[in-house]
Amino acid sequence: MTKRPRRPSFAPVFWSSISLFAVLFALLAYQLSSGNDPSLGAAAGGTASRPVLVRRIVKRRIVTTVVPNPGASSVSSGPVTTSSAPVVSSSGSAPITTSAS
Amino acid sequence: MSEHDVLFDAMGSHARLLIGDPEPGMAPPAAAAERARQFIADFDAKLSRFKPGSELCALNTDPRRRVPASELLRQAVRAGLQAAERSGGLVDPTLAEEIESAGYVGSRAGVPGAPLGAALAEAPPRRPASPNPKARWRQFEVDDEAGSIARPPGVRFDTGGAGKGLAADLVAERLRGYSRFIVDCGGDIRIGGPGALVRPYEVFVEHPLTGDRSHVLRLSSGGVATSGLNVRIWRGPDGRYAHHLLDPATGEPAWTGLIGVTALGDTAVEAETLSKAALLSGADGGREILAEHGGLLVHDSGEVERVGPLSVRPRIRLPQTAPGGAA
Repeated sequence: MTKRPRRPSFAPVFWSSISLFAVLFALLAYQLSSGNDPSLGAAAGGTASRPVLVRRIVKRRIVTTVVPNPGASSVSSGPVTTSSAPVVSSSGSAPITTSAS
Repeated sequence: MSEHDVLFDAMGSHARLLIGDPEPGMAPPAAAAERARQFIADFDAKLSRFKPGSELCALNTDPRRRVPASELLRQAVRAGLQAAERSGGLVDPTLAEEIESAGYVGSRAGVPGAPLGAALAEAPPRRPASPNPKARWRQFEVDDEAGSIARPPGVRFDTGGAGKGLAADLVAERLRGYSRFIVDCGGDIRIGGPGALVRPYEVFVEHPLTGDRSHVLRLSSGGVATSGLNVRIWRGPDGRYAHHLLDPATGEPAWTGLIGVTALGDTAVEAETLSKAALLSGADGGREILAEHGGLLVHDSGEVERVGPLSVRPRIRLPQTAPGGAA
């Protein structure tokens, strides 16, 4: 007959959770109070503080990712045709490109 | 998921439409694309300053102070005035005379530009452009109730500063009801549709010096536009290089230290306005202008700088302690 492991009692689990939370909270509070808000990025090495522009975010609009692509092959500056007749092609056949026009 | 993809010449450049699946009751994508193509052709016919029969040319030559105007012309003039207001007068729609004096008289569609590298080598010292203190654009009034536009006779309007972006935005309004779509009017781009939120479009940014793709933007909505000196650049009869982005204060081509700017915005018109204003402002002003929506600055050297939201990278940083254990 095998013995099932005892279920841990409530109190140790509860108090260890509270302790862990308190430690993390204190760590973050210390960091914020020392002026090192992690969401604001690295401090400027002790130099004079930079002016902060406060902006109200009206609408979070866009999901944007920038992927540097230095090794990519040359892309034609957008599809250019010599005729004014529309050209219909299958989807995804050529990249969409923004360029000066 | 398939998309209808159509490409055609328009507005002295190219236009491209990608249209996804229609909601019930909507026309097939091919029919929507054809209607959009006709709309863009009509837009160009009415608003080109290079077509003597256009409504814009009629407005510019009309001796009356108040001139009846179609809804499309009123929209275009209003977009130009809003671009001027937004940019503090840097994107000035009343420089038609100056740009013609600089040598940009007819359409330059299909005309290869002068080499940008050579033009940069001979260009005058770099400095930011400034608004024209006369601010002639403030003399325009658009009256939708009366269906007219008022301005002092002789002050000409050029929709070039916001035209392609406006065309992209107006076509996008007509494509509501499709799963996702992208409207590209000569590189001024508008994206929409709920499907784009799930499956964003990839938009490549062309480098003005090399022609290579310098970045890829993954966009789920809004607009993106690029302004640059690499097209519509020419050598004038006096031997000097000139291009189409003028300093409103001097009426001369602006050499600001930037050769290209790509801007994001809520709409294509906004993106186009921000990209032009940033390029005319130079690097410092350009960073400020692009700070809210984000964008790319390309310096004379070819260096590409990410600005605003595009420069942010997620990070987690723990408190640092000084060597020796002191905090």
